[in-house]
Amino acid sequence: MTVKLLNTNQIMRQVSYALALGVGVQVYFFGSSVLIQILLACTTGLIAEALFLRLRGSEIKPSIIDGSVILTAILLAISIPSIAPWWIIVLGVSFAVIFGKQIFGGLGNNPFNPAMLGYAFLLISYPMQMTQWPADYLSMSQAVDVIFSLSNIDGLTGATSLDHVKTQLTMGIPIQELELNSISQLWINIGFLIGGIYLLLRRIIFWQIPVSLLLGVAVMSTALFLVDSNQFASSLFHLVNGATMLAAFFIATDPVTASTTPTGRIIYGFLIGILIVIIRVFGGYPDAVAFAVLLLNITVPLIDFYTQPKVFGK
Amino acid sequence: MLKFKYNGGLKLENPYPVDEIDLIRIPLPDKVILPMQQRIGNQARPIVSVGERVLTGQIIATIDDQRCAPVHASISGIVVAIDEHVYAHKSGLKGLCVTIESDGKDEWVDTSIGCTEHYETCTANTVYNKIRVSGIVGMGGAGFPTHTKVRLAEGCHTLIVNATECEPGITCDAALMQAYPTKVIKGIEVLLHICKAERAIIAIEDDKQEAIAALNKFCNNENITIEVMPTKYTSGAEKILLKYLLGIEVPTGKFASDVGVLCQNVGTVVAVFDAVVENRPLISRAVTVAGSAVKESKNFQVRLGASYDYLLSFVDVKEGSHKVSMNGLMMGIELDSTNYSVSKNTNCVFIDQLEESKPTKECIRCGLCNTVCPVDLLPQQLYWYSKSDNIDKAIKYNLLDCIECNCCSYVCPSQIPLVNYYQYSKALYKQQVKEKQQTENARERFEFRELRLERNKHERAEMMEAKKIALKEKMAKDKAQKAVIEAAKLVHGSQDDS
Amino acid sequence: MLDAISTLSLLALLLGLGLGYAAIRYQVKGNPLVDQIDAILPQTQCGQCDFPGCRPYAEAIASGEAEINQCPPGGQEGVDALAELLGVDTLSLNQEHGETKPKRVAVVDEKVCIGCTLCIQACPVDAFVGSSKVMTTVIAEECTGCDLCLPVCPVDCIDMVEIKPTIRTYVPDISELAHA
Repeated sequence: MTVKLLNTNQIMRQVSYALALGVGVQVYFFGSSVLIQILLACTTGLIAEALFLRLRGSEIKPSIIDGSVILTAILLAISIPSIAPWWIIVLGVSFAVIFGKQIFGGLGNNPFNPAMLGYAFLLISYPMQMTQWPADYLSMSQAVDVIFSLSNIDGLTGATSLDHVKTQLTMGIPIQELELNSISQLWINIGFLIGGIYLLLRRIIFWQIPVSLLLGVAVMSTALFLVDSNQFASSLFHLVNGATMLAAFFIATDPVTASTTPTGRIIYGFLIGILIVIIRVFGGYPDAVAFAVLLLNITVPLIDFYTQPKVFGK
Repeated sequence: MLKFKYNGGLKLENPYPVDEIDLIRIPLPDKVILPMQQRIGNQARPIVSVGERVLTGQIIATIDDQRCAPVHASISGIVVAIDEHVYAHKSGLKGLCVTIESDGKDEWVDTSIGCTEHYETCTANTVYNKIRVSGIVGMGGAGFPTHTKVRLAEGCHTLIVNATECEPGITCDAALMQAYPTKVIKGIEVLLHICKAERAIIAIEDDKQEAIAALNKFCNNENITIEVMPTKYTSGAEKILLKYLLGIEVPTGKFASDVGVLCQNVGTVVAVFDAVVENRPLISRAVTVAGSAVKESKNFQVRLGASYDYLLSFVDVKEGSHKVSMNGLMMGIELDSTNYSVSKNTNCVFIDQLEESKPTKECIRCGLCNTVCPVDLLPQQLYWYSKSDNIDKAIKYNLLDCIECNCCSYVCPSQIPLVNYYQYSKALYKQQVKEKQQTENARERFEFRELRLERNKHERAEMMEAKKIALKEKMAKDKAQKAVIEAAKLVHGSQDDS
Repeated sequence: MLDAISTLSLLALLLGLGLGYAAIRYQVKGNPLVDQIDAILPQTQCGQCDFPGCRPYAEAIASGEAEINQCPPGGQEGVDALAELLGVDTLSLNQEHGETKPKRVAVVDEKVCIGCTLCIQACPVDAFVGSSKVMTTVIAEECTGCDLCLPVCPVDCIDMVEIKPTIRTYVPDISELAHA
């Protein structure tokens, strides 16, 4: 088999480029606030990484230019509400870089996905800021005002479709009667899907994780839907809402923290998919990607151990 | 058409393509330096001395272990030195070498003595011995003594002649086959006779069309078939070849002979012919000289022990600083200069322009190495365990099955020199096993010594006891005797009185 | 409240019984700790630890009479391995017992040897071959490099020669491979 030879820096860069389409769609619907978050995130990430590398006594330059911290920063910036205050993203990225990567020894040594670790930390510590999503398009000046706490954000926020479904269900309203206006979510997810397919075609990620993750989401949500279509949303809903596509192609495919054997990857992706739906439906938080990924990160050594391929001659 | 396939491996292009492959005979070198430590076995012992005149084909060093092959003089002349030189080895360590200065005559030993030209009438043992005393070892690079390998495979059902030459850039086997196709076929017939195989398959890659044509032209033995295989790196590794060609997976720890197959490199087959039928021991071989700094890649038939500089004098080398490597870009080693000589397992010398080496980065666990390993190992796991000196875990993950083909390091996006780690842990394992054996020995000997000393002490004590008792008895006996004598004296005395 | 107390007490009782049973049923015979310590020690039998051999030193460590850092031939790796086995903090090698030297073997200078057999008696692993008034020599594979033969030789004919790596025993150095 011929393999396109890319080095590690190139791989990280390509993944960042592939995110561009989904981010572009997000900007179209909700304005440039997400770009401000990305800028803040990247700056914080670089500073935090440089600082910690100096503390560890390692060389700064090779680790900074390998692009992995930029990728972590961008992923976290996309995952949080784009109108979150500036200190949210700064705290989140710092936590992700320091506790998700550097204390384990830098790139390649961390067991947990750093972006997801940062997200989980923010969600648990600052639930209010992490659940206030923009309802509509915000201009650049509005975005700056909001992010840097120069004005009040009431009136600018609205719930995401996932939030909406959850709160309405708890109030006893069946799904059919809900008005689900998630066009923006649909297009954003399609943007990430296209980016993900680009990565697949360039063989930067392997098909096992995205396919099995989406399959897991589809299977679990269909199963629940078949049980009671009033209580549970359809699989299409789950696939295009929230961070499903982002998770499938960009988050769960992080090579450092995912399973390494081909069979292991299928199991890993599938279980994440299933967990995403379970936590979304039965758990306390509307979106579940971060927790699902982190939980499966813990099981990766076990999965790898039991899915070793048969060795030649044994 | 091949029915079987194997996982992994890489499709690599020849980095030094050449329009015509030719085997060029070059004049005798002025001087040869012959290493005593061959790739397999203990160091050979020189049986000539400085100042002695030797003939071409004369044995100049022997090994006591009958499984290994001796070393021969590759030219006639005077032995000028028996001293240490740096070996063409990763370690850069020195080893004993015999240096012979040519007298220009190339006078051979008498090749009529001990000739087994009519090998069909000789016993298998005679032919094995002939192969041994001709110094033949595997010419594909591994250097395993041929007579031992053939002997172990006696009664096998298939002989595979490995003419794949899968390492990119090397063309010496192709040149050999084009130059001496009859020797190849006749050599196969010799081997078929002694190992009693039912059939022989010449496995050759499809990028060697001329060699295939030459062999086809001269092969009229129905037991020999030529199997053309798609060009793919690691198809030429023995165990992979067996899987690819015959669908047989050799179990770990075992060899091809254990599954009834004898596999020999085509260069070895030609050497067997030369030795058995023409009574000429192994004193020369085909070597490819190529590289990005070499204008045109060439193949030479050169005497063993000739220096690399001598070989390079027949090619055009570009200016600039160079990287010297031996035995290929994938499985070969890098050397610091051209101050080395051709040995039995040198199949190529590459001179490349020095490139800036790419820096090594961290392993990102991408798993690309796992997908290209032809032996279905997990190079990534082996890397992490070797790095942390966790040799036991590495062995458990089948480190010893690694064929060191370098496919994994070739695809690594972080440019980690993976095979170096595996070589380190394999050497460390070997050392640990040896140390364990030695400490066990030492413990046993110590305990036995303690036992012996205890036993000596006891024996001495018993002996003392026994002596004491014997002495007591003697004393008692003496006393009793004395008493009897006294009594007798008394009686005698009283008798005298009366 | 009562529920909680009774549940926990019942659990404690059951688990205690289980542990007791396991302790008796799966008890390991003999004193494996001494064997495990002895397996780590290098078996040089040199006595530098102040004990007459490796096994007595192992027994002393197991009974707590000796520290784990008294063995120079084992080196710092040996001390660390012992610390890991016993689950204690590692110490640095006690220099009073000697320094770690590279692996060496004894070589007898045959021109000087007088056949007094004192070295044969001194060697803890019987690595000498010889007899009274007969040339003595060392079996190189059995020599542990303990140095005990050096002081007893009256003509000082024994040399300790370092074992150099050969092409067959070479272990590559990977410390330069790791990136910065």
